[in-house]
Amino acid sequence: MLYFTSSGKPVWGQVFSSYFIAVVAVWLAVLVTLCLGSALKDKVTLFFCAVMVSSWYGGLWPGLLTAFLSWLALDYYFIAPFYSLDVNTQELPDMLAFIGTALFISWLNSDQRKVKSSLRQARDELDAKVRERTADLVRANLQVQSEIAERRAAEEGLLQAQNELARIARITTMGELAASIAHELNQPLGSIVVNGDACLRWLAGVSPNLEEARQAVEAIIRDGTRASDVLVRTRKLVRSGKGTRERLDINSVVQEVIAWSNDKLERSGVSLRLKLQDDPPPVTVDRVQLQQVILNLVMNAIEAMLEVSESSRVLWIHTEKQVLDDLLVQVADSGPGIDPKHSSRIFEPFYTTKANGIGMGLTISRSIIEAHGGRLWVAKTQHGSTFCFTLPIDRKLGRG
Amino acid sequence: MDSEEPIVFAIDDDASMREALSRLFRSIGMRAGIFSSAEEFLEFKRPDVPAALVLDVRLPGLSGLELQRQLNGTGIPIIYITGHGDIPMSVEAMKAGAVEFLTKPFRDQVLLEAISAAIKRDRENRKEWAEIAECRARYDLLTQREREVLKHVVEGLLNKQIAAKLGTSEFTVKIHRKGVMQKMKAGSVPELVRMAQKLDLPSLKH
Repeated sequence: MLYFTSSGKPVWGQVFSSYFIAVVAVWLAVLVTLCLGSALKDKVTLFFCAVMVSSWYGGLWPGLLTAFLSWLALDYYFIAPFYSLDVNTQELPDMLAFIGTALFISWLNSDQRKVKSSLRQARDELDAKVRERTADLVRANLQVQSEIAERRAAEEGLLQAQNELARIARITTMGELAASIAHELNQPLGSIVVNGDACLRWLAGVSPNLEEARQAVEAIIRDGTRASDVLVRTRKLVRSGKGTRERLDINSVVQEVIAWSNDKLERSGVSLRLKLQDDPPPVTVDRVQLQQVILNLVMNAIEAMLEVSESSRVLWIHTEKQVLDDLLVQVADSGPGIDPKHSSRIFEPFYTTKANGIGMGLTISRSIIEAHGGRLWVAKTQHGSTFCFTLPIDRKLGRG
Repeated sequence: MDSEEPIVFAIDDDASMREALSRLFRSIGMRAGIFSSAEEFLEFKRPDVPAALVLDVRLPGLSGLELQRQLNGTGIPIIYITGHGDIPMSVEAMKAGAVEFLTKPFRDQVLLEAISAAIKRDRENRKEWAEIAECRARYDLLTQREREVLKHVVEGLLNKQIAAKLGTSEFTVKIHRKGVMQKMKAGSVPELVRMAQKLDLPSLKH
C-alpha cells in the first residue's frame, strides 16, 4: 500500500521506511531465532511476528515482502538441508502452511489498517466539516447580533423621532391654545389684584378691619396657587418627558381637554354636547399623551367646522364602556365631513388637508393609542366626521 | 340729583373673582349684588335705583354680549371684564354701548371709576326717562285736535297757517294752542319744542 498526502502525491519517505522495516523485522527474527537456538522449539513464531509488524506498519506489500523473505530465511537457516535454499519434500507442507498463514496475516492486517485509516480519514473530514460549520455558525451569529443591535438602534432612533414630533405637535397645539392659557392665568391674576386692592382699603383708615384684610390675603394665596397650577399643567403638556402611565378616569381627561379648549370652542361658536359614561372603569394610560390625542381630535373638529355656518357647529364627545373589555371614546363634529379621497390617507405621516398643518397629528395620535393597546379609526357617518378610539380597561383591580 | 343709594351688580362665573369683587365693594361701602350667571341675574328683581353692571364676557350659558343685547331696553350701563383682551369682542361690546372694557387683571381704581361713571350715566338716563315719562303723561292728556296743533306749532307754523291746514278759524287754533301749553306745562314755545323732541313724535321726523 502506498502513502498519499492530501494532495495525492505518494510519500516516498514512508514507503521506503515501511519496506526497510520489513527487511529489518525479518533480519531481527533470524537473529533472535539463531541466538535462542534449540531453546525455541517452533522457529516459525518470530517470523509470524515480523510479518504482523511489517504488514501492520507498512500494509499489504511490505507484509508480502516480509512473508517472502521469512520463507527464504526459514528455508535457508532452519530447514534441513541447512544453509541451502533446497526444500525437503517432507517439509513442504509446513512451508506452504507458513506461506499461506503469512499471506493471510498480511492481508488481514493490511485490510484492518485500511479500514482504520479510512475511519481516521472520515473522522478527520468530519472534524473539519464540524469546524467549518461551527465557524459558519459563529459568523452568522455575529451577523445576527450586529443586525439586532442595528435594528435596536434604529428603533430607538424612531422612538426618539416620534417623541420629538409628538412634542412639536403638542407645542403647535399649545400655540393655538395660547389665548386659552392666557385666560386661565388672567382669571386668578384678576382676583389677586382685586383682593390686593380690597385688602389695602380694609387696612387703610383710622380703624382697619384686620379680619377682612386677612381673608383677602388668604384669597390671594389661594389664587396664587391656582395660577401656579395652570403653569404646571401647561408645562406638563409641553415637556418631552418619558410618559408615566397611571390608572385614570377617562372622563377626567376629557374634562381637562375641554377646560383647555373651552375658549377656542366659544370663540369659534361651537356648542359642545357631552355624553360621558357614568362611573367609567379605569384605564391605565399616559395622561399627557391621552390629553394630546383628545385635544388633537377636538382641534381638528373645530377647524373642520369653520367651513359651515356658525349656528350648525356642534361638537359631540362620548365616552362609553363597550361589551368587550374596551372603553370607547368618540369625537364627532358637524363639519363638512372627510372627503373620501382623503379618508384612506389621513393617518399617513405628513399627509394634511390643512394649509398650515404638518400632517402628524393623526399619525401621532394613532401611534399613541396603539401603544396603549387600543385602536383609533374614523367611523363612517352620513354627516360630519366621527373619530373613535378604544382603550383596554384595566382589569387588574378593576371595578367592573 | 337723585338721592337713592346706587347699587352695583357683578356677574362672573369664577367664584374667586366674585368673592374678590364682593370684598372690594364691601370695603368702600358700596351696595352690591353678585351673580354667577346671566340667567341668575335676569331672575333677580332689581330695585329701582341707579345701577351699574360689571359683566364677565365669558359666561356659561347666556354669554355677556347676549345678556347685553337682552338688557339694552333697560339701559343699565355695563362694564365688561375679561380674561383675554379680544379686540373684536371689545369693539362689539363698546359699539353696543358698554361703558368700559377691562382686561383682567385690573386695578380697583380703574374699575371703581368706571362704575361711578356708569352710575352717573344711569342717573342721567333715569332722570331723562323720568322727564320723558312725565312728558308722555302730559301728552296723553291732549285731545286729537290739540296734538295736531302741537305738531304744527313745533314745526314753526303761525296760527293763521295752522288754521288753514286744519280748515278751521284762527281763533279756534288759539284756544287749542292755549290748552296745549297748559296741559304740557310749557312756559314757552322753545320749551314745548324740547318736550316734543323728548317724546320723539314720529310725525316730527323729516
